Parts: sequence; structure tokens; C-alpha cells
Amino acid sequence: LPAGLSQWFPALEVLDVSGTGLTEMGTELLSLPCLHTLLAKNNRLGGPGSLPKGLGQAPLARSLRVLNLSGNRFSEVPPALLQLRGLRSLSLGGNRLHGIPPDIQELHSLEFLYLGGNFITAIPPELAKLPSLRYLVLCDNKIQSIPPQLAQLHSLRSLSLHNNLLTYLPREILNLVHLDELSLRGNPLVVRFVRDLTYNPPSLQELAGRTIKTRNVPYAPSDLPESLVRYLSLASNCPNPKCGGVYFDSCVRQIKFVDFCGKYRLPLMHYLCSPECSSPFSSASQSSTSQSESDSEDEASVAAHRMQKVLLG
Amino acid sequence: MEQPVQTETWKARSLEELIRILHQIFAEDKVSVEEVQALMESYESNPEEWLQYAKFDQYRYTRNLVDNGNGKFNLMILCWGEGHGSSIHDHTDSHCFMKILQGNLKETLFEWPEKKGNGEMTKKSERVLRENQCAYINDSIGLHRVENISHTEPAVSLHLYSPPFDTCNTFDQRTGHKHKVTMTFYSQFGERTVC
Repeated sequence: LPAGLSQWFPALEVLDVSGTGLTEMGTELLSLPCLHTLLAKNNRLGGPGSLPKGLGQAPLARSLRVLNLSGNRFSEVPPALLQLRGLRSLSLGGNRLHGIPPDIQELHSLEFLYLGGNFITAIPPELAKLPSLRYLVLCDNKIQSIPPQLAQLHSLRSLSLHNNLLTYLPREILNLVHLDELSLRGNPLVVRFVRDLTYNPPSLQELAGRTIKTRNVPYAPSDLPESLVRYLSLASNCPNPKCGGVYFDSCVRQIKFVDFCGKYRLPLMHYLCSPECSSPFSSASQSSTSQSESDSEDEASVAAHRMQKVLLG
Repeated sequence: MEQPVQTETWKARSLEELIRILHQIFAEDKVSVEEVQALMESYESNPEEWLQYAKFDQYRYTRNLVDNGNGKFNLMILCWGEGHGSSIHDHTDSHCFMKILQGNLKETLFEWPEKKGNGEMTKKSERVLRENQCAYINDSIGLHRVENISHTEPAVSLHLYSPPFDTCNTFDQRTGHKHKVTMTFYSQFGERTVC
């Protein structure tokens, strides 16, 4: 950035330095108190020092709303960026990102996040802590699974997942009631019934834990070592409504197909507490008929008309 | 042997002129696909002339009506944000011309699914259309998906459909199942349509 920029244009609100071959954006940025939009796409940013030091203390940290760094060479989200507390829109499309830092949750005003066209393999559950996120683009990456916590993104209206490595989705995705757009094409979505056969039987600790929880055996923190108290608080409820059981680490992963109006079958991942628990639902046969299990149809009918538009991509 | 339809070689020097010549061509009983395609391609995109119609939406591509061709055709501008794409769709027995005004669009052609088919749809071909290029498709050629695969640049395209239609079928690539949809305009004649 040319020296003296902040002196000549102290009231600058929008700065577009896209396609200028920039390798770093210098300290001039720190003296632009009114800047709300910074567009720096198609440059050579990505090395250390791409963003100036002290960004978190600059007025920019509160004023900047829109930042577009697409088409650069970032291999990781620069930590300095996470100090831009006022950021509403962030694009890092077409870079070289291999992951998303959990501290992304610091950008709590974020509404629009574009990360398409990178090399991202996994999504941290912390991403779900962004309460205002409405548009999330993760297309053209290498993502293998979606954390179920993503269903906590209550404001999400559009989710772009096309061209990744997804074989299934977490069933919680049905909880995203405001979701209008969902792109799933170009993923190797499982089309046949799949059951994880490598079920590891529960440990003695887990069996004891399950008993305490399901029989409501009373206990106080003074009765047990702290580590066990913590362990007991991590029990997950088995989603099978006829079961009422809990599980800790040992569960059966099962792909369950949710039918949408007999037209689309989405493979959703369920976690059940034991192979016996899954037997009311599992069909040993490979043929996937729309003789769907009753509770999956309840879920499906609620989500069906909403998701119809969503799956047409 | 029948005489071929006499085709002119048009050059549209502005969007306004393009529309005027289109009205002229479509006033006739017979319209030549090649003539229209050449005309559309001859117009050199000038953003000043179409910026008023180019209204983008954050979440998906938009359809913005420019001219309704006295009922003979619909001319519209589509705006594609980064990563925006369409579903696989047909064209309800109409002609479809698509010219790139800005950026690039990838067109993937698909075979019609078998009547009793329940498998993955067959891709015929794909290509990336550049600025000012004009593609043509109709139902006898096949189905297509159009997408802006750029993660950095938005794209704008000019579409002509004749006869006009407001419903079409979209297809699930994995199964070939189709679903009828009604298309709406994000804006008409430069004014945002509230619905």
C-alpha cells in the first residue's frame, strides 16, 4: 500500500486493491479509522506479514465489515485476521487453506463466510459458534464429514457443500429450519445401506456409566473422582426413542436414509447405543425401499417440503 | 430442394440495437437459430448498457427480465455470484441462447435420463464459456447445468428464450428424477420484483 495513503485519504471507507500483485498490506491500514470494506482479491498475499502487526488494536478492528482476500496464497487463516471483531463478510475463496482455525469463533459478527476452492479437509465444531452466520460456502474442498454441531447455526440460510468428499450428513442437519439453499452435488454420497461393522464393545467404565445414567443412580461430586464426574456428564442420549439409553464413547454408527417425498434419499448418520438398539430400524437387506422407519418419516415430512428446493442442485 | 432461409449477418453495436434487431427477427414467421446466435455473439458486452439490470443476490443466481419481446421471446440477464450454479434443467420445448457478458460460466451437458432409469445421469460434455461467447441449447440437444465455478469473480449472462416459459423441470444428477419448478424474476425492466 502506498505510503501516505492514510494521510491523503483519512476518511477512506472502501479500498479496492485487487489484482495489484500485493505481497503484503502494510501499516498504512492501521491508520484508516473509517475503512469498512477492503477488497484485496487476486494478489500474492499469503506469506507471513501479509497483514500488518497490531491489527487487533487498530480502529480497523472495529470498523471493518467486509474483507475479500479471495484468489491469494493463504495456506492458513492469518491469526491477525481473527482480531477483526466487526467483520460481517469474509472471503478466502480460491486460496490454499488446509483447515479452518477453531478461533474463527472470535469473528462473532460474521454473517457471510466464503471458503470455497481450498484444500480444507475438516470443519471445526467451533464454526458453529457464529450466531449470525447466514451464508456458508465450503464447496470445492476435500471435506469428508460435517460435524453435527453445525446444526447450531440457527441463522444459516444457505450452505454450499458441493464437490467435496462427503459420504453422509449428520441427521442434525434437519434442525436448520431457516436453510433455504443446500448444495450437495459432486459428493460421493452413500446410496446403499451401510453399517459400521467395526463396533467396539463398551468398556467396563462405559457399562458402569450407562447403568448409573439409565437407572438414575444418585451420586454427588464428593462420591467420585472428578474425572469420573466429568465422564458421566458427557453421556449422549441414544436417538432411538424406544431405547432411552445412553452412550459415551462406544456407539454404532449407522447410515439411515431419509426419504424426501419418495424422490431423494439423503444418507444421514445416526449414532445408536448398541447394535441391538438399531435392530428395529436396520434392514439387513441391501435394497433400500421407501418402507422407511417410522421416526425417520416424521423427521422427513417436517423437513421435506423445505428441503425439496434445497436438494434440487 | 428447398431454398434455405435467407440469413443476414447482423452486428449489434449496443444492447438497445440488439433488442431492436431481435424484435425485427422475431416478427417474422421463420427464425433461424444461427442468425440469432450470430447476432447475440456480435454484441460486444458493454457493462454501462446493462448494469441497471445486473442485480446480484448473496445466496443464489438471479434472473432479471430485460425485454419480453412482444410475447415472442424473453430476454433476461442472469447474475451469478462466486460459486453460484443452477440445477440440471430442461427448456420446456423452447430455444435457449446464452451469451456471457462478464466472467465465465461452465456448461455441463447431460443426456435425458431413461424413462425407467434410476441411476446416475450421464454427462455428455462440458465447456467453459468466455466473455461474449453465445451458446445454444434446446430439449432435443439435451439438458444442462450452468455454473460460475470462479471463487473470485462474479459472472453475468444474457439469455434469450423463445417461446417464453416460466416452468421447467430440474433433475437430480444421482437418480435422474425430475421435478417441475416455476421460475421467477428477481427484477423486471431494472426494478426489483417483490414477492
